[in-house]
Order: sequence, then structure tokens, then C-alpha cells
Amino acid sequence: MNKYKKRKKCVIYFFICVNCLFLSGCWDRTEINDLALVTGIGIDQKGKDVMLTVQLIVPKLLGAGTSMNGSNTGGGGATIVRSGTGKTLADAIANLQEKLPRRLFWGHVKAIVFGEKAAEAGIRPHMDFLSRNPQMRLRSNVLVASGTAKSVLELLPPIEQSSAEVMRELSKSEILMNATLKDVLQMLSDDTRAAALPMVKILPVEKGKTKLETIPFINGTAIFKKDKMIGSIGDKLTRGVLWLRNEIKQANITVSVKGVKGKITATIIHAHTQLIPKYEKGSWKMVVNITSQDDILLNATNFSLYNEQHIHRLEKELARATTARVEAALQKVQKEMNADILGFADAFHRKYPKEWNRVKKRWDEIFPTIEVTVKTKITIQRPGMNTTPQGIPAEEVEK
Amino acid sequence: MIEKGKISALQMGIMMHPAIIATAILLVPAITAHHANQDMWISPIWASLTGFVTVYIAILLHNYYPQQTVIEYSEQIVGKFFGKIVGFIFLLFYLHTNGIIIREYGEFIVGNFFVRTPLIFVMGSMIFVCALAVRGGVEVIARLSEMIVPVVIIVIVFFIILLIPDMNITNMLPVMEKGIFPSIKGAIIPQSWFSEFFLIAFFLPYVADQENRKKWAIMSVVAVLFTLFLVNITVLFVLGNITARFVYPVMSAVRYVSIADFLEHLEAFVMAIWVAGAFLKISVFYYVFVLGTAQWLRLSDYRLLVFPSGFLLLVFAVWTAPNLMELSLFLGTTVPFYLDSVQTIIPSFLLLIAKWRNKMRDEQK
Repeated sequence: MNKYKKRKKCVIYFFICVNCLFLSGCWDRTEINDLALVTGIGIDQKGKDVMLTVQLIVPKLLGAGTSMNGSNTGGGGATIVRSGTGKTLADAIANLQEKLPRRLFWGHVKAIVFGEKAAEAGIRPHMDFLSRNPQMRLRSNVLVASGTAKSVLELLPPIEQSSAEVMRELSKSEILMNATLKDVLQMLSDDTRAAALPMVKILPVEKGKTKLETIPFINGTAIFKKDKMIGSIGDKLTRGVLWLRNEIKQANITVSVKGVKGKITATIIHAHTQLIPKYEKGSWKMVVNITSQDDILLNATNFSLYNEQHIHRLEKELARATTARVEAALQKVQKEMNADILGFADAFHRKYPKEWNRVKKRWDEIFPTIEVTVKTKITIQRPGMNTTPQGIPAEEVEK
Repeated sequence: MIEKGKISALQMGIMMHPAIIATAILLVPAITAHHANQDMWISPIWASLTGFVTVYIAILLHNYYPQQTVIEYSEQIVGKFFGKIVGFIFLLFYLHTNGIIIREYGEFIVGNFFVRTPLIFVMGSMIFVCALAVRGGVEVIARLSEMIVPVVIIVIVFFIILLIPDMNITNMLPVMEKGIFPSIKGAIIPQSWFSEFFLIAFFLPYVADQENRKKWAIMSVVAVLFTLFLVNITVLFVLGNITARFVYPVMSAVRYVSIADFLEHLEAFVMAIWVAGAFLKISVFYYVFVLGTAQWLRLSDYRLLVFPSGFLLLVFAVWTAPNLMELSLFLGTTVPFYLDSVQTIIPSFLLLIAKWRNKMRDEQK
């Protein structure tokens, strides 16, 4: 009996020991110091080939304090870039991997940047790779660089860890366009196949800083049609597009009121845009209803804003300015570029599914002919901390 | 009786939840989205009808033969020879289905996480763990379910809450654009998963509180329906028109979570709940197969069958399909007829014959 118990104990110990072997991991175990963590991907067109640039974290520099590396130029230097070329993106990765002692790890990609040329040549083949790879994240922000993607990724921003992080934070602030990999895939898979991506430029370097010590910033929007970039619009028109897409979060509107010298700026607190599609006797119409609640940010006039009638005059001016902005965006995007990045097709699809399905093949012909009416209603809620304008004698204030 | 353990009706209900859900949220949402597009959230509602019917059939059959499982009473219903054949069909079916389940689990793990780990190792280690649970008997599996299922449900709900900022409700519009049919077409695949509720025919004889069995079986169907509905609607709201483009839409959606820059990269949790869920699902099917075989062969104990049939399961898992595409095609085309015909149609014939026999007997008296 005792012998049996002892044997049983032995068997249990044996199994515990064997278990340790299984617990230690699997074939895919990779130590962190064998990985090259990619924070940003840049894709450029180089003749017929694709050039892939990756931004890698340099782990040594990330952890070290500033006192340790005083000789290091500036605060940056936490990332480096490496490039590889190939016929396809995957080919370029293989080429790149040859030049790296560590295995590329794609799980931390924050930004995917397309160079302008690559964007014009078509992004779909790249998008497929980016969404197929199991390490890649749909949350990564997608942007278009107005030069090469490499020039954006090699920057060493002074505050943030990497230029990819800068682009992600700027995208997330939603002052201008913001698109994640998922959004781009959704836009390209839509029936309209038009997409809008934020466009980045490089901030000019300050005096006394090295060439790379600056940041990329979002300025404008790249318009895509069938996965090829067909043009871009500036930040003002982008804001008009954002109004139409009901994506505007932060904006200041500066206007001058008739008969008053100086400018007044209001900031948006809440904004909402409603697209009301109408289909009547074969003609497609769209009413854009914009409502917004604003606060006064600045008053450089002698116009008192503590007066309700003055406020109503100002509200009308603000509405006019907003409508003009939206109409300018419509003129460019709808009439000139004929790219439905405004969500018109979706709005029609929802309200008139039958009619829309009939014409969806030739939406390109219909979209520029849609008659759009923009109705803007802006209400000012609070004047800020001041009643009448500060810094001028009371007699000069126009009450 | 071979199995001496007793479980409660509630435990049986809990056990059935992962036995359906674990694989129904892997490949199925993409197949549903492919057919139903923006109506994919309606499909689980149609699909659950099969679940209710199957539960009803299993319980009625159980009422005629309260002490026996389907392997035993099919001999009494259609005679010894045909009964054995019906039993054999069931056993082969559960063996094969479990092979498919194990393969789905292995493909998921290897495709998403352990790209270079051999599939056979991933599946083999899971079968080994399940074998230990199955040797423990029905009580062990039931208690494990009681432990694991609440955690799985909490994590799923947690994910849904975390995804709320990224949801876009307009993705579901226009509702029923092309009528009711796309959503019914989308329901064909999930409804076959609901037919797996016939598994309760193997557990009903061991339920201690017989008066509650109907209540908890139905509750379990409702819970599965509700979970599938929530998962589908979440995926639809997050991914919209590209849902069908992903092999594992739920996984892709969860990887999209990002709250305040630090609550992200949550796929390890997804893997954890799916491994736990798949463990229960495989164990339940494994147990049913082993118990059924022992009853079919009239053995006095089923434990000695556990490890040998584990090897058999591994072989079936490898044989099921040469690659993931074929597995997905098989699930999207053959499986609904396959699962339904064995788990809903054969039992309903059995029920009809049993009814007729009982009527005859009553008349003779």
C-alpha cells in the first residue's frame, strides 16, 4: 500500500515537471530584444518598385534620461528609419529584413504614411497587405505625405517620441481629417469608392535646430477615387468637408459685422450636420442642415456683444461665413473633383434604397448634378468672460 | 448507468452556452455578414428557431425514456439493428463535428497568434487537456462551465462596452433593404449551430432537478441568441460594410479597441476567453462521444475510451480540411444540412416513431 502511494507521488511529480516544459511557451516565442518595434510605415513609389520605410524604436535611447546622453543632439533620436524596396510591399519587407539584425514586429504601428507618388499610383495593393497581416492593427492612422513618406518618418520631433506618434495625436485631435485603416477600408469598399485621407506637411525647421528636429503636421486632405489620389484640398476646404461629413469638432469662425470695424471670432461648442436627401421626379436634391452652438472667443471691435440684437446680427454673419465655407468645399469636391467623400451616396441609399440601387452604377454621373441647399443656423450662447469689449473707454462702445 | 454523476438543470444550461458560442463567434459572423450584409443582426433571431425546436424534441424524447440517452433509446424506438445504426450515425457525427471544432480552434490560434507553431501541436495539447476533464465525468465539466462561463460573458460584455465609442449606428441602415430574405439566408449557417442543442439529449438523464430542465434548456437558447445578437450587432456597428472581408470579424473588432491610448492591444483577452470557451465546447462534444460509444458497445465504464478517442479526434481534426479556405467553404455550404439532418431531423423521426409506438401500446392495453 505504502509502495503504491509512493509510486503515485512519483507520477504526480513527473507530470508537474513535464508541465513546466509546456508552460514555457511555444514555437512563436520571441524575446523582446530580438524584435524591431515598428512605429510607423512609409510607402513610396520608386520607379516601378515600392519603397517601404519603417520607423523603428531605438530601445536604448527611449529609457535613458537626458543627463545620461547629454552629448546627444536635442531631445529626440529615439527612432531610426530603414528602407527596403521590392515589387510589392511584402517583397520590400523581405528586402528590408535583410538589413536588420532584429525581426520586424508590426503590432505597434501607429501611422501608415503614403508618399504622394505612391498615393497617385494606387493604394489598394498596399491596403490589402496591411489588413491581411495578423500583427497589424486596424486602428493605425493612415495619412498621405505631400512629399515622400520617408521624409516624414525620419523626423525626430522634439516633444513626442516619434513622428508617428505626432501624426497619431494630430489625427486624433480631429481638427482636420482623421482616418484609421478601418475607415479607409470602409471608404474604399463603398459603392462610391471615394476616400479622403489627411495630408501631412513638414513644419519648417526653426533656426539653430538640425534639419530633422521638427514635426509633420496635418494640413489639408488628399482625395482618392478608386484607390488613386486625384488631388488635394487645403485646410479651409477640408473644414468645409468636415462640416458636410458631420465630423467637425473644433473650429473657430472669424467674421466682421457690416458697418463695424474689426473682427469677431466665435468657437464651436456643438455642431451637427444633417443631410436630408430628396428624390423628386428623377432629380436628386440634398438639403444640408447645419446647426451649431458657439461661444465668443474674441472681439476686436467696439461692438458690444452683451446686446441681443447685436448677437442676432453676428449669428447671421457667422451662418453666412459657414455656408460660404461649405459651398466652396462643395464646388471643389462635388463639381470639380466629382468624389463623393461627403456621404451623399449613403444618405440616398438609406432613404431611397430602391432608386439608389438602380443608379448606383452611374453615381459618378449623378453626383455632380445634385442640387445642394445649405441651411445654417448658428446660435451664440455665451459671450465669454467679458460683457462689453475690454480695453476701450465706455463711450466708444457701440451699445 | 455508466455515468454516476448528477448535475443540476442550471449547470446543464450553462454548459450549453459555450458549447454553441465558442465557435459561433469565430468564422460564422463573416459568413452571416456575407449573406445578410447590414441585416446580420436579425439573423440570430431566425436562427434560434432551430434551437427551440431541437430543445423541444430532445425534451419530448426524454419524457418517453427518462433514464436513457439517445444512443440507448434509439434501440428501443426503431429496434436493435436499426437502433445501432442510428447510434452509430450519432457517434460518427459527434466524432467528426468535434474534429471540425478542434480544427476551427487550432486555425484560429495559429492564424492569429502562433503563426509558426505546428497546428497539430496546438490541437493535440487542447485535446489532452479536454481528455483530463472528460475523464472527470459530467460533474467536472459542469462545474468547470459554472466557473468559466461567467468570466467569458463578462469579458464579452466588457469588450462591447469598450467598443461603444467606435460604433456607428448608421451602419445598420437601411434595415431590410432587400426584404426579409437576406437576413434569413444569413441565418442558415448560425441556425445549424443552434441544432447542437440536441447535445442535451445526452445530459438530461443526469439532471437531478428534472422539474427545471425545460426552463433552463430554453433559457440557454435565449442566452445564446442574445449573445450572438449582441456580438453581431457590435461587429456590424464597428466594421460596417467590410465585416465580411475579415476571417474573424470579432477579433478584428476587438483589436480596434483603444481607450485613452493605453487600454488597447486587448487580443490576449480574446484569446483567453476563446481558449476557455473552446475548451468547454470540445470537452462537451468529447464527453458525449465517449459516453455514447461506451453505451453503444455496452461497456461498464467509459474512462478507458477517453485517451484512444483523443487520438482519433486529432486525426479527424487534421482530416477535416486541407486548409482554412476549404474549412470555411465547408462550414458555409455543407454544414447546415449536415448538422441539421443529424441533430434535428433524425431526432424528429425518432420522436414520431416513439409517439406512434406509445400510442400502439396504449391501444393494446
